[in-house]
Amino acid sequence: MATDLSGVLRPVAKANGLPNEHYVDDRIFMEERDAVLFKSWSGVGVTADVPEPGDAKPIEFLGMPLLLIRDKDGDIRVFQNTCRHRGMILVAEPKKIEGAIRCPYHSWCYSTKGKLVATPHVGGPGMNTHEDMPKSDLGLIEVPSHIWLGVIYVNVSGTAAPFEDVHAELLERWKEFDVPLHHGGEDSTFTLDVQTNWKLAVENYCESYHLPWVHPGLNSYSRLEDHYNIEEYGQYSGQGTLVYRQLEGQMGERFPDFPNLSDKWDTGGEYITVYPNVLLGVQRDHAFAIILEPKAVDRTIEHIHLFYAEPKVDEALRAKNATQWKTVFQEDVFVVEGMQKGRNGHGFDGGRFSPAMDVPTHCFHDWVARQLIDHRQRVAAE
Amino acid sequence: MNGLNEKLLAAHEREDTHALIGLYETAADQSNDFTERSFFLTHAFVYALEKGDCQADLLHGRLREMGRI
Repeated sequence: MATDLSGVLRPVAKANGLPNEHYVDDRIFMEERDAVLFKSWSGVGVTADVPEPGDAKPIEFLGMPLLLIRDKDGDIRVFQNTCRHRGMILVAEPKKIEGAIRCPYHSWCYSTKGKLVATPHVGGPGMNTHEDMPKSDLGLIEVPSHIWLGVIYVNVSGTAAPFEDVHAELLERWKEFDVPLHHGGEDSTFTLDVQTNWKLAVENYCESYHLPWVHPGLNSYSRLEDHYNIEEYGQYSGQGTLVYRQLEGQMGERFPDFPNLSDKWDTGGEYITVYPNVLLGVQRDHAFAIILEPKAVDRTIEHIHLFYAEPKVDEALRAKNATQWKTVFQEDVFVVEGMQKGRNGHGFDGGRFSPAMDVPTHCFHDWVARQLIDHRQRVAAE
Repeated sequence: MNGLNEKLLAAHEREDTHALIGLYETAADQSNDFTERSFFLTHAFVYALEKGDCQADLLHGRLREMGRI
């Protein structure tokens, strides 16, 4: 089943993209789940999903039931949403945990920090302890998580190095944006259900090559030559613009800027993929995150969230901004869906990369291939 | 116990957890059987725990005194 990844690892000018199987084969999809998405720090939600202590939101990530929860002290935690007793799903829909998480099956109860606090009748009717059922051993299984720029990342395998180490250079690059980001609210989030493999959404996001063709509306002020590649092999990739133009309302009103930004950001904007599945964009007055939720080898849900420098920004302008971005992201749908269909062509060899324009995309392919090779070597050694 | 049983069923029906706390504690208080009393107290305690109700500590204390927790 193992695919030949040697062509991906060649220098960009000579490289081929990932083989077709990485886009159409369910077995490879599952291999990438384990080797890439579970093994890395993957985005699964935003802090605004659980804004207040006690807020809990169940999600499913690649089939794994997870529970996002803000504990009583305000810290966000991610647990497996599975009771340690008989494996029942603990929380079926978003809710406020007022005291403890009570399993709806036999009522085992957990604190918002995951501690098992009650095992009713475990020793018989009315007897709530049993010597072989130590509560200290049976707390919820916590999944390592990390918050950055409003996004909740998890490392399902529990084997990744700390997020701050893995992404040290990116954190340094964007340290000016490591300030409180305020989610724009319900009108600043939307989803796109796209018939494509998750990687194609990353690939399209990483490069500016397609902008004049797919987003002609940008041509008037944002030309191809106003963009630059961001390519850090083994780490992250994307693109930047030198001509970011702030959105204006009818009276010339604008969003407030993030505080203390350097001159670079007066007209600069950068759009980077935090490998594997979070697409981030930062500009002087707002940021956004697209969290890719792989649903199947050929289906991905894109969760888009817009963030601002202040909690309350102009409502009309906020709506205009959301509409503008939705238009741009929808313009990309036919491309990623078209590339998905194209991957069913048996003679397609992964394609070639423009050595000038496609380096960020190759950077991503190279990273994915190396994760897979490392995984295959580990599996073979076991 | 008859009226209480109907109130319990009604509280379960409308998922009124706060009411369940008091009703199960009342059921415990009305019982002369040790096991049955601890059974009802357990239910009162669990619902109080779920709601973050201040009764949880008191109910926990009662169960502890009975050696049931």
